[in-house]
Amino acid sequence: MCSIIVLLGFLIGLMMMISKGLALSISLSDMECVSEHVFHDGDTVSGSFVVMDHDIFWNSDHPGIDFTVTGPGGSVVYSLKGTSGDKFEFNAAHNGIYKFCFINPISTPETVSFYIHIGHIPNEHDLAKDEHLDPINVKIAELREALESIVSEQKYLRARDARHRYTNESTRRRVVFYTVLEYVLFAATSILQVVYIRRLFSKSFAYNRV
Amino acid sequence: MEKNNHTKQLRSATTFLLLWLTFIGESQAIWLTIPTSGTKCVSEEIQSNVVVLADYYVVADEVDHHHQIHTVSLKVTSPYGNNLHQKENVTHGQFAFTSAESGTYLACFWLQNKHEQPLTVSLDWRTGISAKDWETVAKKEKIEGVELELRKLEAAVEAIRENLIYMKEREADMREVSEATNAKVAWFSIMSLGVCILVGALQLWHLKRYFRKKKLI
Repeated sequence: MCSIIVLLGFLIGLMMMISKGLALSISLSDMECVSEHVFHDGDTVSGSFVVMDHDIFWNSDHPGIDFTVTGPGGSVVYSLKGTSGDKFEFNAAHNGIYKFCFINPISTPETVSFYIHIGHIPNEHDLAKDEHLDPINVKIAELREALESIVSEQKYLRARDARHRYTNESTRRRVVFYTVLEYVLFAATSILQVVYIRRLFSKSFAYNRV
Repeated sequence: MEKNNHTKQLRSATTFLLLWLTFIGESQAIWLTIPTSGTKCVSEEIQSNVVVLADYYVVADEVDHHHQIHTVSLKVTSPYGNNLHQKENVTHGQFAFTSAESGTYLACFWLQNKHEQPLTVSLDWRTGISAKDWETVAKKEKIEGVELELRKLEAAVEAIRENLIYMKEREADMREVSEATNAKVAWFSIMSLGVCILVGALQLWHLKRYFRKKKLI
């Protein structure tokens, strides 16, 4: 299960914005990108993503997907290769648009459930700019970021649990399907055997053979 | 060439967003690129009785020589297929609903008219506690500043606890499915052995009868 948490801060005048996080599932074939805006230099961008592969027959064949984060200058800030899900965290040196891209090397479409959170803790520069902010706001921001890390971990666990659930359901379906198929094939094979042996011993056949 | 256009588009899109922010204040949403043909869908698994609030707008491109108004169409469906919200050719909009059943809720975007370039749509999707309107709570209970922030933190902690309880329930469900599958594997394998023996015995019995009838044995 992935849950979306997007806290939209419309509080004008309060420099300390509510922490932002967003979790969604998108289908992926080839490459999909999602952009987010980082407002302040030095913000921590954290998150996780998990691949829910529904239709892969042999699990070991899938090499995983690649994940890249491109900063506002166009340079790649963070990258992961060949993984089926992981957590990530990095410091955004500059503010601007960050692009999070998932690349699927194989043609089978996948669903990726991701969660992105951008955390901002006001520093002395912000405190000096805005007279509404106290040092206590910094502490509250730190506390909020700590809570967000718990929420982020929960989201990751939920996504992995969802993937596990799909695998479980698939196992159950396969067990039932292949066992019933096995029984039907047993019966069919034995009937074919009997029919064949009877034909071997039938008069018309025997006259030609024996 | 395409990359150049894309960077230009992004840069102009940034300008537009920053201008908007001076009026609205800081907002956070993900930006999706809608392809010229086909749909782009985002989905989420939501439990029942959860408030969902979403805001979307088309990120305008200033470097557009045609000065066209770009519009997008979208459709939001519930896990049972009910249409929760559908709009054609709009530049911005908002929708809210309370999830009636638990399952995957899908929001799909597509371009109705012929566009040469893919469109960027900003989607701000909030569920549960994030959809809570803190301004009305602050006005109603006359709290502000630090107290309001602490109240928000308290709500966040409650949400964490509810999440944990939900995950415990899901784990219990999955454990039952696993154990049922485990029992099925054992039972079906033994039964397959039984079927094998039964079918073999039937074969022998039938062939013996046949040969006796044919006076071969």
